Amino acid sequence: MYCGIDLGSRNVKIALMDEKGRLEFFKFDTIAFYREHGCLEEGRLAVDLSALLPAGTKPRTVVSTGYGRQTVALKGARVIPEIKAHVLGAVHLTGLSDFTLLDLGGQDSKVALVRDGRLMDFQTNDKCAASTGRYLENMAAVLNISLDELSRHHQNPVDLTSTCAIFGETELIGKVVEGHPISSLAAGVNYTIFKRIRPMLLRLFSDTLVFTGGVAQNAALREILARELGVRVVVPEHPQYTGAVGCCVEAKMGSEK
Amino acid sequence: MDNRGIQADNGVRSRRVGITTTVPVEVIYAAGCIPVDLNNVFITDPDPGGLVEEAELAGYPRNVCAWIKGLYSTVLRHQDIRTLVAVTQGDCSNTHALMETLELIGVEVIPFAYPFDRDRDLLALQIEKLIDRFGVDWVAVNRARERLDQIRRKVWEIDRLTWQENLVSGWDNHLFQVNCSDFKGNPDAFEQEVDDFLARLAGAQPRREKIRLAYIGVPPIMDDLYDYLEERGARVVYNETQRQFTLPFETEDLVERYRLYSYPYGIFYRLEDITREVERRKVHGVIHYAQSFCFRQIEDLIVRQRLKLPILTLEGDKPNRLDARTRMRLDAFIEMLQ
Repeated sequence: MYCGIDLGSRNVKIALMDEKGRLEFFKFDTIAFYREHGCLEEGRLAVDLSALLPAGTKPRTVVSTGYGRQTVALKGARVIPEIKAHVLGAVHLTGLSDFTLLDLGGQDSKVALVRDGRLMDFQTNDKCAASTGRYLENMAAVLNISLDELSRHHQNPVDLTSTCAIFGETELIGKVVEGHPISSLAAGVNYTIFKRIRPMLLRLFSDTLVFTGGVAQNAALREILARELGVRVVVPEHPQYTGAVGCCVEAKMGSEK
Repeated sequence: MDNRGIQADNGVRSRRVGITTTVPVEVIYAAGCIPVDLNNVFITDPDPGGLVEEAELAGYPRNVCAWIKGLYSTVLRHQDIRTLVAVTQGDCSNTHALMETLELIGVEVIPFAYPFDRDRDLLALQIEKLIDRFGVDWVAVNRARERLDQIRRKVWEIDRLTWQENLVSGWDNHLFQVNCSDFKGNPDAFEQEVDDFLARLAGAQPRREKIRLAYIGVPPIMDDLYDYLEERGARVVYNETQRQFTLPFETEDLVERYRLYSYPYGIFYRLEDITREVERRKVHGVIHYAQSFCFRQIEDLIVRQRLKLPILTLEGDKPNRLDARTRMRLDAFIEMLQ
């Protein structure tokens, strides 16, 4: 049994992989995870995994990654860079080896160019979270609709131009006042994400786009990406666990060496 | 060249003369003045972040380069620096507003412009104007150059030992070269530091980092970058701009020196130097650093088209520690190069 942990800004995702490669997934709220299950031991975060995972789970190796890895060193776990974890996970989950990876998480966006299953180049957003899951959550809240509802719309988008996610809220309220239907407002929000990540996707272009992270569950954005870029968009079954799965893959490879 | 005790009797307002980036310091030393690279004073302050905040409280916008803000507060804090040589062309246009806001509080500002097209006559004229302003002559300036060149040669050797013998860390390479902008205001003492360092290197074991990196762009605003890289098995063996501060050119012609000097001129001329050095030093990857809100961020697209090596573009904003995102990106870059 191998355990992969992705310490995200919004959720901590854990994947368990058995010797046959079968996967199980667990998700925890990040703040609750650190507050309730973690304690600092010699400057490293000790987490009692047995309290979190099904009884009798005894992973041979634990590998972790994620935003938290910079501030938290998980005790007993080997740590790998986030982009590596996502590439390994995407290759494993899709069986593809040549593609562009788009990972949209809670607070960051990553684009990676993968050839022969190897990371060739990458870009990430810098110093701004306006193209991430948190932005979508905020905008859904402004529109008073669920994330599910938000992710249904991609037709007739309103034009939102703010470079800042917070000022974007004010702009969206202005559009509400102008009387645009919810569908156009939601489509506008989804298009904003696309416009933000388009330059990175064009620089690291492939015919196939593997889309991961929590935001990959947004069907409208998948549709926009396919239509605007003319690419095949592949989303693994549990896109938000891609990094955690990549950690399992790394753990398995490490123990087979 | 011991300048201690000599008064500035040549018409400039203070003996300690601030500089906003590398200028022909030979002129300042020849006048018996002490050049102070404000960047170095700012970034080695115990609380550089506090200096940036101070400038913001004075009214500098939040979305402006932190270096400019740090330079402003540094002059405010150091009442002994009442004269400033400011580079009005060849560095950045924010310097213009820096000059104006300092003039507002009574600082004497002497402009210096590197001609965009590296025109020799225009550059010679600029240097001559500086010579006039400081009340010196070419003989004295060349004497100062000869003295400073003795030290520069030793720092060139530190650079050579970095990439050819693998004896020097990226940080030490950065530090000794970056200090050649003003020789820390005391060439004799700085030379002693250089000598001591070189003596310590004799008989040292070569370093073991497997990955060789180039660092291009302005010096980083964070001081833990080099250590962070080396802890992960990657070492910077080429610091582009810092090396340029040592004027690494074998010519005794002062004007030609500052014409060969690449930093103040366009990106294409800088790329000639970069391309030559990354090849010679056999680097595996390039870190292109650009300051938040800096026009040089635009030039990244040219760098990416012209350099045929993996490139990581780093953006630095506030001093002086790497943030979590940047560390994550460095990790991924090193991993990719392995």
